[in-house]
Amino acid sequence: MLHGKTELLSPAGSFDALQAGIDAGADAIYFGVEQLNMRTCSTPPFTIEDIAEVAERCKKQGVKSCLTLNTVVYEHDLRLLDHILKEVQQQGIDAVIASDFAVIEQCNRMGIPLHISTQANISNVEAVKFFARFSDVVVLARELTLKQVEHICKEIVRKDIRGVSGELLKVEIFGHGALCMAVSGKCYLSLHTQNASANRGACVQNCRRAYEVTDLETGQQLVVDNEYIMSPKDLCTIPFLDEVVNSGIHILKIEGRSKGADYVYTVTRCYREALDDIANGRYTEEKAAGYMKRLSTVYNRGFWDGYYLGRKLGEWTKSPGSAATERKIYIGKGTKYYPRIGIGEFIVETGSIKNGDTIMVSGSHIGFMKETMQTLTVNGVQAGIAGKGDKITFPVTAKVTPRDKLYKIVGATNE
Amino acid sequence: MSKLIHYRDKCIGCGICYEMQQDLWRMSKRDGKATLIKAEKKNKTFVLEIKEWDKALAAEVAVACPVKIIKLS
Repeated sequence: MLHGKTELLSPAGSFDALQAGIDAGADAIYFGVEQLNMRTCSTPPFTIEDIAEVAERCKKQGVKSCLTLNTVVYEHDLRLLDHILKEVQQQGIDAVIASDFAVIEQCNRMGIPLHISTQANISNVEAVKFFARFSDVVVLARELTLKQVEHICKEIVRKDIRGVSGELLKVEIFGHGALCMAVSGKCYLSLHTQNASANRGACVQNCRRAYEVTDLETGQQLVVDNEYIMSPKDLCTIPFLDEVVNSGIHILKIEGRSKGADYVYTVTRCYREALDDIANGRYTEEKAAGYMKRLSTVYNRGFWDGYYLGRKLGEWTKSPGSAATERKIYIGKGTKYYPRIGIGEFIVETGSIKNGDTIMVSGSHIGFMKETMQTLTVNGVQAGIAGKGDKITFPVTAKVTPRDKLYKIVGATNE
Repeated sequence: MSKLIHYRDKCIGCGICYEMQQDLWRMSKRDGKATLIKAEKKNKTFVLEIKEWDKALAAEVAVACPVKIIKLS
């Protein structure tokens, strides 16, 4: 399902997010399993057994699937690595994203297509040439400017740099999502404070907090510029996406394997539409402004253009947490599904819901669903409002399970 | 007698428990997670009665675990 020349790669940290990414029009999705992925602490993580279902769902929809295996790999992980790669091969996962040489070597030995992770910090064409011997795609360092990216893309063509498959090497860059304060994610803050290695996917995000500087002579404390000086805003390339596409890249990646289905759907959908607009010559400033507005509704720390336009220093967030313009409030969970009439039943566990409210469902089959409640059916009869303990029913797009969650969407300032 | 409890499912295989107290821990080559040696499996946890002289270090290990899945009781 290629929609244009730039492929859109979306994150999946759960089946909800996976389905949301597929439904929103991703060309490919990436996910991690067990403890060998950079989002180990996202709960609940995918397991080796889940690889089959991820592969099946993606194949059915004509979407590529990529497994990330880009942590530091220790000696005691090698057998697990072997198990995972055998399953990758058996289930027909399209590629593995890696930076550790043991993973690279093993994938090559097994003939598994490889993408070199951004963790490898590829920043010049010689490094690209080196990794072309092992891979088909290189993910460039997030710290490069668009000019540098363009140069690398041109040099791949000019020097005819081909990957393992024999085709010209493809270039992938990050297009949207959280940025790390450290170069290519090589950060030790979390390890030093809580033994939690970011490079084993256990980052506790020390950089996202506010800090004071203490003058040891006077004991005076300074709040530095009133900003979170280690917490970069989120990368967003929508305002110059046409330039990103024209730089010659092949794959645009969205960050966010620890994010929910609402985030994955909204961001993927915006970039899908924007890439299609560019392919059809219809991308305008007004459209870009519209996408920005939609992107602001889901989790974000404020947006900036990363390093692509030549900025020397990161732009820092001004407040903790998200600056999203919408907020989701948990209401209840799925209880029943009536397949013949396509109706889902949910139990209200907290709060209330009334006609006219915007609701959102996040589910492993539904993925992401958001709509305005038109005619509320409470315990089988039409009613104006539903409260705790009530069972409500409404049409759904796919099977409902007890793990599916129902939320109410409100403006971020509403209490 | 103190008990050491390990919620093994959530182990990320960083190996700090093994590095700190090799008498009680080993790294499983099967799945890359830490294993509490000779522990008894109870539902999803592994429980081991430990000697008094292992207690102080075990407490340090529990604090050091980055995902806080080791408890001393």
